[in-house]
Amino acid sequence: MSQDFRLDNIGMVNRDKKISFTFNGKKYFGYEGDTIASALIANGVHLVGRSFKYHRPRGFFGVGVDEPYAILQLERNNERDPNIRATEQEIFEGLEVKSVNCWPSVNFDIGAINNFLKMFFPAGFYYKTFMWPPSFWYKIYEPFIRMAAGFGEASIKHDKERYEHKYEYCDLLITGSGPSGLASAYAAAKNGARVILAEDKPRYGGSLLTSDVNIGNQTGVEWSEKIITELKSMSNVIVKNRSQVFGYYDHNMLVMSERISDHLPQTQKYLPKQRLWYIRAKEVLISSGSIERPLVFGNNDTPGVMLSSAAKEYMKVYGVLVGKKPLIFTNNDSGYETAIEFKKNGVNPLILDTRKEPSSDIVTEAKNLGIEIKFSHVVVAAKGYKKVKSADIAKISDNKKDLSNIENIECDCICVSGFWTPSIHLASQSGNKSEFNEKIDAFIPKKSKQKENTIGSANGKFTLEETINEAFDKGYEVSNKITENNNKVSMPTVVEKKSSEHDKFWCVPLPKGKSYKRFLDFQNDVAVTDIELALREGFRSIEHVKRYTTLGMATDQGKTSNLNGLQLVSDIENKVVPQVGHTTFRPPYTPVSIGAIVGREVGKHSKPTRKSPMHEWHEKNNAVFVDAGVWLRPRYYKQGNETLFEASKREAKNVRKNVGVCDVTTLGKIDVKGPDAAEFLNRVYTNAWLKLPVGKARYGVMLREDGIVMDDGTTTRISENHYHMTTTTAQAANVLSHLEYYLQLVWPGLNVNVVSTTEQWAGAAIAGPNSRALLTKLFPNSDVSNEGLPFMGYKEGDLFGIPAKIYRISFSGELAYEVNVESDHGNFMWEKIIEVGKEFQIQPYGTEALSTLRIEMGHVAGSELDGRTIPHDASLEGLVSKKKDFIGKRSLSRSSFTKPDREKIVGVVPLDKTTSIPEGSYIVKDPKAKLPNPKLGHVSASCWSVEYDNPFSLAIIKDGKNMIGQKLFAMSPLKNKTIPVEIVSSHYVDPEGKRVRA
Amino acid sequence: MLYIFCPHCGSRSQNEFAYGGDATVKRPELNKEVSDQEWDNFVYLRKSPRGKHLELWHHISGCRQWIKVERDTSTHEIFKTYKADELTE
Amino acid sequence: MQKYSVFSLIKNAFSDHQNWEVAWKDPTPKKEYDVIIIGGGGHGLATAYYLAKEHNITNVAIIEKGWIGGGNVGRNTTIIRSNYMHDDNALFSEFGMDLWRKMSQDLNYNVMFSPRGIINLAHSDAQMNAYSRRGNSMRLNGIDAVLLSREEVQKRIPMADFSDNVRFPIFGGLMQPSAGTARHDAVAWGYARQADSMGVDIIQNCEVTGFDVTNGKIVGVRTSRGDIKAKKVGLCVAGSTNILAEMLNMTLPIETHLLQACVSEPVKPLLDHVVTFGAGHFYCSQSDKGEMVMGGDLDGYNSYSQRGNLPTLQHVLTEGIAMFPFLSKLKMLRTWGGIMDMSMDGSPIIDKTHIDGLYLNCGWCYGGFKATPASGWTFAHTIAQDRVHELNAGYSLNRFNTGDLIDEKGLGTKTWIS
Repeated sequence: MSQDFRLDNIGMVNRDKKISFTFNGKKYFGYEGDTIASALIANGVHLVGRSFKYHRPRGFFGVGVDEPYAILQLERNNERDPNIRATEQEIFEGLEVKSVNCWPSVNFDIGAINNFLKMFFPAGFYYKTFMWPPSFWYKIYEPFIRMAAGFGEASIKHDKERYEHKYEYCDLLITGSGPSGLASAYAAAKNGARVILAEDKPRYGGSLLTSDVNIGNQTGVEWSEKIITELKSMSNVIVKNRSQVFGYYDHNMLVMSERISDHLPQTQKYLPKQRLWYIRAKEVLISSGSIERPLVFGNNDTPGVMLSSAAKEYMKVYGVLVGKKPLIFTNNDSGYETAIEFKKNGVNPLILDTRKEPSSDIVTEAKNLGIEIKFSHVVVAAKGYKKVKSADIAKISDNKKDLSNIENIECDCICVSGFWTPSIHLASQSGNKSEFNEKIDAFIPKKSKQKENTIGSANGKFTLEETINEAFDKGYEVSNKITENNNKVSMPTVVEKKSSEHDKFWCVPLPKGKSYKRFLDFQNDVAVTDIELALREGFRSIEHVKRYTTLGMATDQGKTSNLNGLQLVSDIENKVVPQVGHTTFRPPYTPVSIGAIVGREVGKHSKPTRKSPMHEWHEKNNAVFVDAGVWLRPRYYKQGNETLFEASKREAKNVRKNVGVCDVTTLGKIDVKGPDAAEFLNRVYTNAWLKLPVGKARYGVMLREDGIVMDDGTTTRISENHYHMTTTTAQAANVLSHLEYYLQLVWPGLNVNVVSTTEQWAGAAIAGPNSRALLTKLFPNSDVSNEGLPFMGYKEGDLFGIPAKIYRISFSGELAYEVNVESDHGNFMWEKIIEVGKEFQIQPYGTEALSTLRIEMGHVAGSELDGRTIPHDASLEGLVSKKKDFIGKRSLSRSSFTKPDREKIVGVVPLDKTTSIPEGSYIVKDPKAKLPNPKLGHVSASCWSVEYDNPFSLAIIKDGKNMIGQKLFAMSPLKNKTIPVEIVSSHYVDPEGKRVRA
Repeated sequence: MLYIFCPHCGSRSQNEFAYGGDATVKRPELNKEVSDQEWDNFVYLRKSPRGKHLELWHHISGCRQWIKVERDTSTHEIFKTYKADELTE
Repeated sequence: MQKYSVFSLIKNAFSDHQNWEVAWKDPTPKKEYDVIIIGGGGHGLATAYYLAKEHNITNVAIIEKGWIGGGNVGRNTTIIRSNYMHDDNALFSEFGMDLWRKMSQDLNYNVMFSPRGIINLAHSDAQMNAYSRRGNSMRLNGIDAVLLSREEVQKRIPMADFSDNVRFPIFGGLMQPSAGTARHDAVAWGYARQADSMGVDIIQNCEVTGFDVTNGKIVGVRTSRGDIKAKKVGLCVAGSTNILAEMLNMTLPIETHLLQACVSEPVKPLLDHVVTFGAGHFYCSQSDKGEMVMGGDLDGYNSYSQRGNLPTLQHVLTEGIAMFPFLSKLKMLRTWGGIMDMSMDGSPIIDKTHIDGLYLNCGWCYGGFKATPASGWTFAHTIAQDRVHELNAGYSLNRFNTGDLIDEKGLGTKTWIS
């Protein structure tokens, strides 16, 4: 198709580079620098989508971020991107886009039947119906409604693109490179400030690209090019295009998304698709400009109706005509600029001005150019379905209430201008409460809440001279505050056309007998009647109106609809706009890809992975790993076709029979040092610590202040003032913070220091009857006999030249030792243990076997100490000192903690000695009882006892101590299991603890 | 993201810190008789005002010091920060 | 009151929708009420409705500082479930599920309750066991729950990450098929409309400035629209509870925190269930409009501000992509924040207070929306009968003295850790 609507001598696209792309499967041509919108318009295509509710035809309404209509689906490099705004996406060779929310095609859309039924679908209709019969909502109505939902189709393929994050600090962040942004950046940069200037569009200059002005004897375009070139050359300035500052957060942290590769056929090597900038700015100048407001009239959503500033930009930036028979409908001077631009390009526009007798430079100029102007005239309704074909226009009375002389005028586009709305979003996000400015009928920022100032048209300044002056002043002022330099650049002279006042009129009344839909929110199909209905039904707060009608809740977030909605509410309610108030703006200003927000922490890297120094050895020896928090731990070492059950049983058995070795590096380790260390431990743990001799370890339990067990572990007195504390893997970080809290805030008088040494030590637990024999060979120079290294003893040793620490502690309940060496030697230690252990039938064992061993011994772990248990529940009350005070002790006297039938840990054995009890089962008296069936307690951990070769579980049940010997039932309804069980002691194996002391 | 002045390290972004809640909670002294109510109040009652709030932050990815921060809970503005043992106003 | 139905919709279409009545009136406050409910959120509106419906107490005012439904009932992620482990929570919520199932018809307002099922993903056998503990407890309490294998999860949500390039593989999940979502605003409006029709005064833009307490008994409230006498007063103000408590010289075991949520741009339906991530804190469902509705952790410090910060969302969405990699290509459209009344054990308080005639309903943490009907129902009962119902007996204030805590997560008093 040829570009029938392309102008030859105007625009900034690169005519030397023709680009082909497809839209709905059809091939089109455009030029480098075109957006999808400009290229399609150049080809005469205006129908690109369908509206959300009524499926009315949709074309292009704007030329940038405010676009409510042209939402398309993009295919790029075999990746699908839903919901691309055609007015923003630049074309590249091979780009494929298609329309969404229509079936079978955008031209013939079945959903458009809604448009004929729209009388039944007023605002909130769904709250009033679809209620009978009750089950139909979820089964029939909702699935049908959902089918119609959404725009684009999301691909469920994994995103291959890369997104990066960048942190930056600057003196001054300027958001937008229009006249105010450029001028302030220039003034501040020249005064030595470190400046970041962000521009959302590919081209710098903002309104200077399209306005007919003169700055310092240069055109707006020339001046902006000069300033940008100079800024780019300065080392204290970062200038970024295609970069949207979308969020203004606390403490002057702003976030910007830079679209690095979206405009390219594919992302270049070493570059991300997008980059998210976290920018901490000392000062911010918001120069985000303003967005033209629509005028509201009948069928004002017809393709071909668009903002007049957009029509102008399509001509001046892209060299594209939005129509050849334009109607300009305006209430201010801006529409004239568009009309004049049409005229200059050989197209005769007709201007309808709602004002009676405006006089200004530009009106005179339009008259002189011979442009036809009808004052006190309005568009009553657009005619045409998929494209504007004509318009009913009328004369409007001075009080703007009555229409007369309605006539039909042929036209192919209607360019509307209802004056300008400052983009105050960032200021509002910053916490700045805006105020309504009567003069411009819009909100502007009020008092700065953070270090922010809004300048230019975003601040309601609509003349270039005011804008430039304000920008130079502000740029100097804030840079001076930061740099204390006094380098002031001189201001250029500004020549522009003087404009006259706009007309506050914005919504055309309906002619008698007509019921045209007059739309406010174009994407969500919210019309004037919807707002009227909402108010009639008592939804009077603007928030209620918004939620009831969905006004401003579409993907454009109401950039073109919010203010008109407010005006309508205030008109009907007979209030002024500020009384109605407006909804607060929240980030993001424009939608931001979730990939960019997340950055590089995806896939395997979504969280860190911690590995022990022996990890490679485990891998080589067929370890199957399990996630323990962010650690990876060997769960079992697979031999042949073994299952988890078989392998863990083999490993556990070998520990009970011979000797096993387990990687315990992940345990938290904390050095506690200082003259008051013993006293500190005595306060932290529930048991007594003052008399622990050097070279001895002790098991301890620590509580939270609410009496709940926080963690357990052994702590060893290495020397007079040095203790080595171990924590569980899961609680390591919390325990350290806990200790620091008490040392720094509660008992600063204690002379103790704590530091994490978790990463410093690699640990191997050597357990089993053969462990001492093995240790003797590993440490031939140390006395590791029962006398030389008794249970809970500690000594240093020499492991083939490597210094090692030997703790005689046991989690498995067997004779056991834990050997620690510095992490760098971890693998050496491990290999030596395996090598020397061969003759003792050593086998490595994983966490599963470890669990088996501890469960049948009745040793508690995380599944019992689950943040809800007190020492008593875990049968740890023997470790609770009655004599001394400690953290959480006072809470233990609470009535529910001391009640006689308090929960307690027990052992559970199935009566048939063969059926394993699933973890998470409940112990009940009567499995057939009526629901809710009273539960005695739950099964916290289960294993296959290798000692007795039958299943064994731990459970925490009510009145546990008196339940031993009872025959009850373990129930897992989820697994459809009811298992008759006997309650036994939790210490199933070696209840006297002989083995550990052997 | 808050920007918190650590009295030991200078201004650092919030993601280096862990929050610690109401800094005015005072633990009853060890071995001192306290009533049930007094103790439970210590464990469970917190100041949670709208406006100025003295709170704890722990510079876990920095100096690992607990600090006190005076912050407005409705605007998030930080007025002053203190070392753990510094007297607050 | 006008009845809503497809017939009334058609009938009104032919009169151009000019004859719809107001959903609720805009009365000026009377001098005195039998009961004043402070807070026109979901819970307050529901309380007033059940006071009128179940207890025939209609001389009731709801006093709302802003506009009704403007708090957390209008800013949540619309999830409704009763998949709790603790009996107190489970039985209370399941009672609520029944009310949810009947709500549209009961209120003659389509609240779009959609039992699409919630799936909690598990990423290890240990987590599967923890979920079994919860699921079995649910089943023994008469609540539906099923344990899903990895394959069964994949069948239901194939878009979750079942690839090799995953940090925490999916082992399976716990599903409550009867859980789901509802249209949050409609819940507030539906209750308001019915309460209004039964004679309850809904008074918006009316801020409470103080209380009148005489001899340990409440006698009225002071408001920005004048003093109003009342025999009984119920506090139902979620994140603002501490502000009112301060006026009463009460300190409560709750802290106020900020929770953010966000939605993506709308896309064609692909996610039928509510899904939660097990290796972190993230939940997601797809609205009837096509938006992915997402939430997760608190911002993590006391706050009365509804403006959150990006790092929290970044963290939440990181877990989002870890669960649903396809989210990467979607765009975050809208974010918002709500202020939560986080209690010290994560469970709510519905109780009488030491002041005669003053009743307390707070501590909902981020579970307030789903509790709306059950909370309203039990609070109405507590106010009307001046005693707690067995359903809310566990939600007492003095459990913090007895130790009968209802700590679903086992996190204790660090309310900001979620």
